[in-house]
Amino acid sequence: MSRNLSAGKINRNWKGILLFLLPALVLYGLFFIYPIVTVVFTSFTDWMNFKSMNFVGFKNYINLFKNPTFLKAIRNNFIWAMVLAFVQVPIALSMALVLARKPKGWKLFRTVYFLPTVISGSALAMMWKAIYNPTNGVLNAILGLFGANQGINWLGDMDTALVAVLVQQVFYFGYFMVIIFASRLGIDDTMYEAAMIDGANTWQQEIHVTLPMLKPVLVTAITLAMAYGFRHFESTYLLTGGGPNHVTETMGTFLYTKLSSAKWAEGNSIGTTIILLGGIMISVIRSLLSRERAVKARKGGAA
Amino acid sequence: MIAQNKLTVPGIIAKVFKWFFLIFFLMFMVLPLVWLIISAFKTNQEFNLKSPFSLPEVWQFVNFKNALTISNLPRMFLHSIIVAIATTALNLVVAAMSAFALSREKFRGNNLILTFLLSGVLIPIIALMVPIMKINNFLKLYDTLGALILTYTAINLPVSIFLIHGFMSTIPRELEESATIDGCTFLQRFTKIIFPLTKPGLVTAGTLVFIYCWNEFTYAMILTISEKARTIQLGIKYFQTEFFVDYTGMLAAIVITMLPTIIVYTFMHDRIISGMTAGAVKG
Repeated sequence: MSRNLSAGKINRNWKGILLFLLPALVLYGLFFIYPIVTVVFTSFTDWMNFKSMNFVGFKNYINLFKNPTFLKAIRNNFIWAMVLAFVQVPIALSMALVLARKPKGWKLFRTVYFLPTVISGSALAMMWKAIYNPTNGVLNAILGLFGANQGINWLGDMDTALVAVLVQQVFYFGYFMVIIFASRLGIDDTMYEAAMIDGANTWQQEIHVTLPMLKPVLVTAITLAMAYGFRHFESTYLLTGGGPNHVTETMGTFLYTKLSSAKWAEGNSIGTTIILLGGIMISVIRSLLSRERAVKARKGGAA
Repeated sequence: MIAQNKLTVPGIIAKVFKWFFLIFFLMFMVLPLVWLIISAFKTNQEFNLKSPFSLPEVWQFVNFKNALTISNLPRMFLHSIIVAIATTALNLVVAAMSAFALSREKFRGNNLILTFLLSGVLIPIIALMVPIMKINNFLKLYDTLGALILTYTAINLPVSIFLIHGFMSTIPRELEESATIDGCTFLQRFTKIIFPLTKPGLVTAGTLVFIYCWNEFTYAMILTISEKARTIQLGIKYFQTEFFVDYTGMLAAIVITMLPTIIVYTFMHDRIISGMTAGAVKG
């Protein structure tokens, strides 16, 4: 842009600009900058209620990574991130591609698939709690129709709890579906016409035309899915509270138990871990995905 | 378009698969809700002893009446509405002001500030539980609706600024230039020209913020303790103890909390979907 023109010259509306930016900057300071700085700094202290704050070095982190519950929580966050990125996003992608071919009733399908995204997560969680209920839940009743074992305590059994919590979330793919769908509709129809003239069937068109064109939105979707995986809190908290015996614990639910017992510094060391692990994970996956893209582009250029 | 592989065997298999998944997911989205709504109309005895696939013998509207009285739902509804409306208004004004300064004015550091403001989306808010609670304590807002309004306003700024800035950048500059010649001030350019023209962008961002506020659970739990600032989503957490003896009453209460968004969505689904799409397509 022509930014260089004004460089060195002070904009004559600078007072107005400052005034207009001020509210946003103050709120960022209070709710993003100050919290991040506090989370990181106090994670090296023994800050809790009714005690003076002392610097303790890496003690909180050492305790954290020696704690089997926290290691379970990290593992579960990885599972969440992977399942959302590599199960939910692929489902969303397939449904977006199917709907983009505009089968009968595609508008209805799109609207209904997206519906759970606007319903509150807490209400949906309570609904699933009722579905999974071992004595009067509908899931056991359905299995009973097929003569399967009844009375499974889906959320209370250590073998089924994590899967039960994941399932109620992973099929709500509507959000990723609509962002992929929007990109898909942005692809020019002439590309498909050209592919058809070359004799490509629907399947080949999707693989050789659609997928390469959708790469940017898929990278976005996978990144977002990973981020959600590391931030996951709400439905686990409501469905199992991290139990039974911590099998569904996530960093978020573990942080919340520290907050509830006023162990601020320990909580903040978990917060720092969430920020760091999430950041590392996302940058690794993004660089992997973009490298693959670069390699493909080079191959494509050589061909 | 797909006529060419209609008659082949793989084509038929693909078609069967396609419709199987289309319908399977449709049922996955809808049937649990249908089961919930039907069950909410049953008596507890009926719910516990009769088949879960049967319709209620008598539709128990009384469950919904009980749900409203037992759990203090009307008051929590009011709280949620206040928080959602106030947050949306405050968030849009703050976001529009900064988006205006950044999209319509050239100055040093412009891009840097924009990048800084937009990078807020990268922060996992869940990691900041402790300090955000402390900040609200410090501001004497803990356990008030004000805590939720201010916190939600801030949390939603990155997305709102992104949407509104994107929209404002498309408004042609000539409009303002002629207005400036006519003696329009900086403030008047915002209030009289750009703000009204940004309306579609504001509606999109506002819809997202409103839905976020209505559905937010985690910070509603962290920032409040008593019923005087309890929102509807947080109220859901207490249903199990409040409806200890009235399970279907609880199901009715859950249905009531879902209804507003479902109704709004039925009328505005296209706008809501396009708004949410716009918010994500950046990477």
